[in-house]
Amino acid sequence: MRRLALAILSLYPTAWRERYRGEVEDLLRLRRLRPSDVADLLRGALDAQLHPQPRPVLQLAVPASGPVPVSAMVTKPAFGMVESASLSLSSRRSFLRRMLGAGVGLLSLEFLGGTVAFLWPGPGEGMGVEYSVGTLAEINGSFPNWALGEPMDFRPARAFLVNVPAATAMAMGEAGEVTDPTADQILALWRKCPHLGCMIPPACESRSRFQCYCHQSTYNILGEKLELGPASRGMDRFPVRIDDDGVVIIDTRELIKGPPKNVVTFRDPHPQGEGCA
Amino acid sequence: MSGDLGDLGRFAEPSLLILVSLSDKPRHGYAIMTDVEELSGTPLGPGTLYAALARLEARGLIEALLADDRRRPYRITAAGVQALRTQLVGIESVVRAGLTRLDGPADV
Repeated sequence: MRRLALAILSLYPTAWRERYRGEVEDLLRLRRLRPSDVADLLRGALDAQLHPQPRPVLQLAVPASGPVPVSAMVTKPAFGMVESASLSLSSRRSFLRRMLGAGVGLLSLEFLGGTVAFLWPGPGEGMGVEYSVGTLAEINGSFPNWALGEPMDFRPARAFLVNVPAATAMAMGEAGEVTDPTADQILALWRKCPHLGCMIPPACESRSRFQCYCHQSTYNILGEKLELGPASRGMDRFPVRIDDDGVVIIDTRELIKGPPKNVVTFRDPHPQGEGCA
Repeated sequence: MSGDLGDLGRFAEPSLLILVSLSDKPRHGYAIMTDVEELSGTPLGPGTLYAALARLEARGLIEALLADDRRRPYRITAAGVQALRTQLVGIESVVRAGLTRLDGPADV
């Protein structure tokens, strides 16, 4: 703590240090320092840089104690005019020093600002907006196979919209039509493969599974990772809700990580260790 | 030379306390610090202390005496005494008014 406090003294302007350094060092040695003292010294350094005080002439002898008569005061140089000649000699140097300090300070501020801005929590890993897909009626109208279980490729969010009851029925090879799933029966599976980020193609018709063309990571129709392929988890997904007007909304501001490999809530009748046939 | 501490901004209060501390005898930095902390009950940081000392000195309200070793004593000047008195009288009237109103008849 003390070493830090002493180091801060070098941040004070030269004129200040010439005048006060010795006694402040002495004071810092006498005092039991607290973190607040260090902070206070820092603020003092900033103040001394921004508001340098003109230096009065030092007394050379110890005069008799007690207040000096007013007449003695008058001979003192007026405020702001102190030692102007000797100050101007050193002022170029201290100006340069101060400018250097200001430059370094500015640079570190920029660096700090950039770092903070970079690390500031952004809108998550998703694409940062809510997408309105349309009402269920609109979806069924424009993509009739959705009610039969085929995932809909919703391009703006780069996600497959999965109608869970219909899709699982289809994967089981059963016929069934579900036109009005609830919000928690709809999945928005992000098409980016959690392995290395390849774009996962639409589910294969043969087995109703997703299989990444890069390294064959294979997922069931609910985006859960099966045995085959290097991905360590299921497909990531976005929250889905249906608003008061019945519009299905994909919220890409929040990305939900896929479940771990081999944790499945649904098994289609095909061998779990295989991909698409 | 300004006899008003009001233009010292956030250093006005520490400056006043420092002047009070120096009003009986000259003291060096550490002595002022401990004295002020005792007087006011709040800690006075070294940075604030010396920022205030520099201002008071620049305004001629205090002056530095010859350093005894590294400890330089500061002494209040005549102008400092005058400024302190003005300030204290001002505060006193506020204090008195406040106490009078607090103790006065509570007219609703």
